[in-house]
Amino acid sequence: MKNLFTAAAAAISIAASAMSVQAQEWTPPGPIKLMIAFAAGGGADTQARLIATELENRLGWEFIPEQVTGKGGVNLLVEMQDEPNDGTVIGMIVTESLGYNLYTADIGLTPEDFTPIVTTAGTQMGVVAGAATGWTSFDDMVAAAKGGQDIRFGVMSQRLGEIAYLLGKEQGIDLNIISVQGGRAVLNGVTAGDMDVGFMAGIQAPGVEAGDLVNLASAMAQPLTQTPDAPTLPDLGVDFDAAAVFLFAGPGGMPEDARNAIAAAITEVTSDPETEVGALIARAFGGPMNIQGAELDALVMRDFADSEALIEAASE
Amino acid sequence: MDILGYIWLGVQAVFLGPEAFSILGMSISITVMMVLSGFLFGIVVGATPGLAGPFAMAISLPILISVFGYSPDALLPVLGFLIGIMKGATIGGAVPAILFNTPGTPDAFMTTLDGFPMAQKGQAKKALRVAHFSSASGDTFSDIVLFVCAPFLAIIVESYLDLPEKTGLLILSLSFIAAVIGGSAGKGLISIGLGLLAVYVGTGEDFYPRLSMGADGLSRGFPITTAVLGVLIIGAVFKELEEAWRETGQNRPAKVPTQSGDQKLHWPDIKRLFPFIARSAFIGTAIGALPGVGSTLAATLGYSVGRARHQKTKAADAPSFGDGTPEGIAATEAANSAVSGANLIPVLSLGIPGNAAAVFLILAAESIGGFNPGPAVFRFSPDVVNPELVIAFGLFTCMTIANLFNWTIGGVFMRSMGFMINIPKTLLLPAVLLLTLTAIYVQETRLEAIWFALGFGVLGYVMRVLTISPLPFVIAFILGRSLEETARQAYSATGNDPFFLFNNPIALIFILMSVAVIIFAGRKPKGTAP
Repeated sequence: MKNLFTAAAAAISIAASAMSVQAQEWTPPGPIKLMIAFAAGGGADTQARLIATELENRLGWEFIPEQVTGKGGVNLLVEMQDEPNDGTVIGMIVTESLGYNLYTADIGLTPEDFTPIVTTAGTQMGVVAGAATGWTSFDDMVAAAKGGQDIRFGVMSQRLGEIAYLLGKEQGIDLNIISVQGGRAVLNGVTAGDMDVGFMAGIQAPGVEAGDLVNLASAMAQPLTQTPDAPTLPDLGVDFDAAAVFLFAGPGGMPEDARNAIAAAITEVTSDPETEVGALIARAFGGPMNIQGAELDALVMRDFADSEALIEAASE
Repeated sequence: MDILGYIWLGVQAVFLGPEAFSILGMSISITVMMVLSGFLFGIVVGATPGLAGPFAMAISLPILISVFGYSPDALLPVLGFLIGIMKGATIGGAVPAILFNTPGTPDAFMTTLDGFPMAQKGQAKKALRVAHFSSASGDTFSDIVLFVCAPFLAIIVESYLDLPEKTGLLILSLSFIAAVIGGSAGKGLISIGLGLLAVYVGTGEDFYPRLSMGADGLSRGFPITTAVLGVLIIGAVFKELEEAWRETGQNRPAKVPTQSGDQKLHWPDIKRLFPFIARSAFIGTAIGALPGVGSTLAATLGYSVGRARHQKTKAADAPSFGDGTPEGIAATEAANSAVSGANLIPVLSLGIPGNAAAVFLILAAESIGGFNPGPAVFRFSPDVVNPELVIAFGLFTCMTIANLFNWTIGGVFMRSMGFMINIPKTLLLPAVLLLTLTAIYVQETRLEAIWFALGFGVLGYVMRVLTISPLPFVIAFILGRSLEETARQAYSATGNDPFFLFNNPIALIFILMSVAVIIFAGRKPKGTAP
């Protein structure tokens, strides 16, 4: 009997705390399987797990995190498409996964087969060189290449490889583009001298601060917050944006109330700098970026459609 | 930050990490407790015939990960526990070898040669003391060599080897492992080839899942846990079950003769044993530093060198090697224990595992994330703290703590483990099988993983029946991805030069050595019939 009372009291207190934090109509019908498209232990994986922990604490939702890595998020999408769409299965990917990667994988799936829920943060994508190269600006790198030096350029996805190629083409130089797994591998390669320069998505910040690395350019349409004077991709003649945006998505046809409730909950914890995940996003990913609803649908569809243009531009 | 700063941070990471409990206001960190429990568990496992260190590591890893989670804080407690098992199992293996003529772990086989005769003569306790003292000395020596050598080797590799040379080095290690493990270069190559084939299913850069034959289950490839545990553990369980089934009805002697005389280890004994321990510790360390050459070879070599020396120097009435002499135990145990520290040299400095214990340390690091054993670990970045280097020095601290436990309580605990022989294999093996399958499901959470693991188990069983060592398979599975990635990167970095391995002098030397090592190992010794 005592156990029954304890259980009842616990249930009431959980329900009460959930309601007090956020009055919501929708609650998940069971534990939520959280698929993560990033390797365990990295910055993106940490972000996903911290979001889950914070939501468990605040709302009493239960999460089961699971790593589904590989093929730039396409493995996760393939695995997720047949899962229940009642909000009990969601995945964390980047916008590129539903865009270029899904387009190139050519497996008969489009973004319409999924439900984009909310973005959490963008990345401070830069073109970063090691201090040992002696370059202090993008022009120094171009001058070195024109002087006959082989330039090794590290990228962590196929789409970034295409953008790096366009970047070289616009300057009239050849780049030896090296594809690696994950942003940390680019950082390690540049630090060890295996590569001269590479795309880094925020991981470069402490190294740039310390003077071991140099932000030669922003790999986005807007300037980097850390090095605002560095040229942007449009300044360098490339009309594409290399930035990746972290995105939560679910299987296609998720009911609106589930989609909105999950989006609202994730927005609340990621935009609060007091939470551990909010602090991480502010520190490593240049602050929260919460896009949802129709605006997000349009963004994802545009990325998918842009992929064709990027591939055409790179194969000209 | 300089080297001393990093060492200090590593020590702090162990002692000032999350607290387990506190005694009289002094907080005991969870990592220290995990090293201790791993060490004691390792002794128990080592003292149980039919169980060995890798079994215990395989079963505890997923349990540890579900307890500690995937945060960077989990790395040191989990790796500390595994290191504890590794060290405990090494000394535990000598217990049944000495008392019952049954080696507890494969590398303790040579210990039976002198340990059991000593026990028959009523000197069991003394034999156990000699085994413990030699084992702890060999282990400590080997760890010191590791602490000094690994960082330097890593720095040399990182500063002198470019991508084509790194590719060449990986190929050389694989062919070296094929040549030295299992005694037949041909079978070693088959094992390596199968491992590479398995790891290349579903992986790669292209968005199309290669080698998956259109099957959805294969499109993500085989999880590393299923391949490693399947071939190494489930395969071994199948093989042992078959042997246990064949041995039914045969009883082994499980009685220790009455003990008599002086059982203590005195200073003159130690002085007499010291040259044997020193020689064997050196041999074990040198062999352990080469990937793939296991502790069994080290024990054999240490024993033979010790015997040759003993015959020249012994008093006329003293027992020879094989008749129950403490020197024989010392020569074996110092050599096989000295392997365990040294074989972390290639793991930490190059990311190349050389034996099953190292495989599980890499598996743990890979599952938790945040620590990728390899030359990049030892980057002494002065301005930004390199967290992987702190973990590396934390690991060294864990090994030192385990050694302290070994010297202080290891001997007493080990000598009380004689009863483990009574646990029947017919109960033990199904329990291991069940725990392993549960462990795999806990980590992979999909039913296909169980089928993969059983499939790899059958493969491991067949390989053992055909006397093909499964270890090259597992090492190839682990190195396969970095081999492919490094080769692709070297190809792009050299401006798409398909002959990058041959246009670079150091890489070319590595490739020639890889071929030479296979030819040399494949040659039949002179005098044997073709």
